[in-house]
Amino acid sequence: MVRAVGDFTTLRRLKISFVYISESRLYFFLNHFPPILGLMSERELIARAKAGDFSAFSALIDKHKSRIYGLARKLAGNDQDAEDIMQDTFLKAIDKIGQFRGEAAFGTWLYSIALNEGRSLLSKQKWTELQPVEAYLPSGGSSDMHSEQAARLFDWKDPHKLLEQEELRAIIDNAIAELPYQYRVAFLLRYSEELSIKEISELIGESVAATKSRVLRARLALRDTLSSSFEVKYAKKV
Amino acid sequence: MPKKCSDYIQDLNDYLDGEISPELCEEIDKHVGECKNCRLMVDSMKMTVKLCREGKSEELPVQLQDKLTSLLKKRWDEKFKSSQK
Ligand SMILES: [Zn+2]
Repeated sequence: MVRAVGDFTTLRRLKISFVYISESRLYFFLNHFPPILGLMSERELIARAKAGDFSAFSALIDKHKSRIYGLARKLAGNDQDAEDIMQDTFLKAIDKIGQFRGEAAFGTWLYSIALNEGRSLLSKQKWTELQPVEAYLPSGGSSDMHSEQAARLFDWKDPHKLLEQEELRAIIDNAIAELPYQYRVAFLLRYSEELSIKEISELIGESVAATKSRVLRARLALRDTLSSSFEVKYAKKV
Repeated sequence: MPKKCSDYIQDLNDYLDGEISPELCEEIDKHVGECKNCRLMVDSMKMTVKLCREGKSEELPVQLQDKLTSLLKKRWDEKFKSSQK
């Protein structure tokens, strides 16, 4: 008897919470998207866009434009190039929408266009060639070779406590901008966009092992650049 | 033969990103606990990623959004009008 009452209460609770969720979802859609397009799946929107429906294409772009802009901003390191990369990406997407077969998610497809646009736009940039991996390793005392070429190691402490926010931001942006393009891409996709190594390897068309190595080298090189900048800055502050 | 610091380098990212076998993780933990250089290396590699993730969220500025929409509309009309001819 007691159990039956308990079950009934649970059922009622479930029912109530179910109604609540679907209402709030509907509310969300009605407020954020035009009524009908907002309820369509990505697949439906793509089909409509391919048939020439601009509002469907716009709805697709709306979902991805902030992420693409964010990626472009980090890749380029400045607003003007970021704007160009973003615009060129979406213009290219219009040109190539008929070729989109849906093997990858639409967002991934846009990423791959953005990476290509970024490469051609930023190819004029000058970046520092990376050193051999040994140069980024700790020297570890007598058992290690290459000690004369070893990584800069000192205790960074908390850079926020030692540097102004703006100064710190500039150091980081510069350090990222100094990475050769393919290393910058690997690093940002991994740690800014939070993609897995496998996803990145598919996106950039490299093996998993090569992708892993690229992400590692980028991280080591970036660490090294930051380390030398901090060393100089900290010395001035003392 | 005992391992050198540089023998661990290939695995450091997997170690830091938590994508490594428990055995190797334990081995690196032990080495890092005993080796000051590797500890500094690991700490600053962690901080490198943390600092790069901190950047402000790059919201698309409103005036750029409007510009983008009209640019895309123009290209769209060119493409679909010319294909209808
Ligand atoms: Zn060591």
